[in-house]
Amino acid sequence: MTTNQKYNQFIAFLIFSFVINASLSSRNWKAPDDQKDKNSYIKFDASTAAQGEAIYNANCASCHGNPGKNNALKSLNPIPPDLSSTASQSLTDGELIYILNNGAGLMPSFKNSLGEEKEWMVISYLRGFNKNYIQELSKFDPAKSKLVKLVSSFDKASNSIIVNATADEKNGKIAIVGAEISVFVKRYFGNFQIEKALKTDASGLAKFSFPTDLPGNKNGDLEVLVKLYDENYGEVQVTKTYSIGVPTDKPGLNEDRAIWNTLVKAPLWIIGLYATGLISFLLLLAFLLNNLRGIFNSKV
Amino acid sequence: MSEQSKKPNDKSRRDFLQNIGMAGVGTLLGGAAVWAGFNYDSKKTAKQRIKVLTAENKLVEIEKDAILDIEKSPAQQLTYLQQRGRDGLEGKRFVMVIDLSKCQNARKCMQACQEAHHLRPEQHHINVLKMQETATTQPYYMPKPCQHCDNPPCTAVCPVDATFKRQDGIVLIDNERCIGCRFCMAACPYSARLFHWQEPLFSEQDKDLVYDVEQNVPQRRGTISKCLFSADKLREGKQPSCVSACPNGVYYFGDENEDVVTNGTTKESFRFRKLLADNGGYTLMPELGTKPRVYYLPPKGKTSPFQEKDKEEAAEHFHG
Repeated sequence: MTTNQKYNQFIAFLIFSFVINASLSSRNWKAPDDQKDKNSYIKFDASTAAQGEAIYNANCASCHGNPGKNNALKSLNPIPPDLSSTASQSLTDGELIYILNNGAGLMPSFKNSLGEEKEWMVISYLRGFNKNYIQELSKFDPAKSKLVKLVSSFDKASNSIIVNATADEKNGKIAIVGAEISVFVKRYFGNFQIEKALKTDASGLAKFSFPTDLPGNKNGDLEVLVKLYDENYGEVQVTKTYSIGVPTDKPGLNEDRAIWNTLVKAPLWIIGLYATGLISFLLLLAFLLNNLRGIFNSKV
Repeated sequence: MSEQSKKPNDKSRRDFLQNIGMAGVGTLLGGAAVWAGFNYDSKKTAKQRIKVLTAENKLVEIEKDAILDIEKSPAQQLTYLQQRGRDGLEGKRFVMVIDLSKCQNARKCMQACQEAHHLRPEQHHINVLKMQETATTQPYYMPKPCQHCDNPPCTAVCPVDATFKRQDGIVLIDNERCIGCRFCMAACPYSARLFHWQEPLFSEQDKDLVYDVEQNVPQRRGTISKCLFSADKLREGKQPSCVSACPNGVYYFGDENEDVVTNGTTKESFRFRKLLADNGGYTLMPELGTKPRVYYLPPKGKTSPFQEKDKEEAAEHFHG
């Protein structure tokens, strides 16, 4: 083997490893192992696929294009993958919902805009393009969510919201440990999350410190939404109104007299100036006419 | 023969006189009737007839009792939609935040806007501009809707109160009042307004629609059209068309009174003032004192490059 050949091999190896590296780094997400094997609690059928298609067309198609049609948004870098392709279909259901929940690269998270149920429906639609796909259902029982009791209270001393999660099981009331709790305040266009999601402690409690400067309505009322997510009990949410916001009652932006406002709300100085001008002009006119009459009437 | 010829002669004399008499009486009666009628008619002209202008622009005279009042439904009278559009939403102060570091020129906002407001492809309520301050600075994309100023120069110059600012901060145009003088276009420092020089895109399909000020549909030739923050959608608690159409999370929209803005793509909410403070938010041309309700976050830490096709254009602009 000549040095030249060796050199060529080395270059080839360099290029090869570079390509591998590049393709790995373009995959800038990695689902944790416990998320990877997550399965849907919804059984995929024609109806869920049809609903999923509508959701897909409204939220995904603008970038990914229609599956199999090769009409993804080419101006993006990297170009969003065709989701009917073998590469996309080789991902597990858990990985797909992980990307939907967390986003990947340029793709935003759909956790808040869609929610888990709708996300599974989109996956149901996409799995229709894979003939070899056999669904594995999650063992989760949706009926269990009815046993959950979520109670929230406001602690004035520490200015925080305390959430207590319990379940009325057959063998009595038990605390739900390690469930994910998130607290939101309802706003006009969406829910504003207070702090980050917390896990309940051994006694089923989670404590969220509440901002002191969040504006409420006239009375300072805020509608607080508490959400629980647990592997066993699923998703449960409760809303409660607290008087813990800053009372806010700001006037409308067009209340004041201003030069840009409508005629009835013009500034007084403009109305005054205009009226004075008009009256002076009329008085001048009357004065001139009176003088003219005097000239005609006078017998020279 | 002679007897036969005598008979008609006898009859003809009597008949002649009879006919003359009848004709005379007839003429008299007829004349009297015509005269009376004419007399009656001319009296009516003064008192019981009025002049009306028809839809074909023809001046005609009709009898007063022939007038029928046309009953109009509330929708046809337009007052309801126009009044609602003028009143706005109580207790709200809408704001938009545009994150320039996320814009990749996907132009979905423009498309959604043109669909919602029935505009031609070359007409923009919102336009994505290619920006580059100097030859050495980084180029970026900047979506630019109406700034919905708190001190709007456009409404100040309107001579007919057609364009106005509502209590929730939105600046709208009522094209039923607009006279097409285009003073507002000249006054706007952000070039946010457009004028319908030609027949609008769907004028034929839309002609029976009731005019909605909050959507400015149907659009009208010879009037101004402008960004409305999709006021009709806000009423239903939905975000504007451009905001929810963005695939890249560029737009945040919310109520300043609630101090929270929600991202149109991810639906994640953030404190409005904190978002501006943390990211160096700014408004366009603050030196003019127009106080815009649209805020920008600078194109810092852009994840996407300026597109190749636009680079050439930018280079030409600086060196050509």
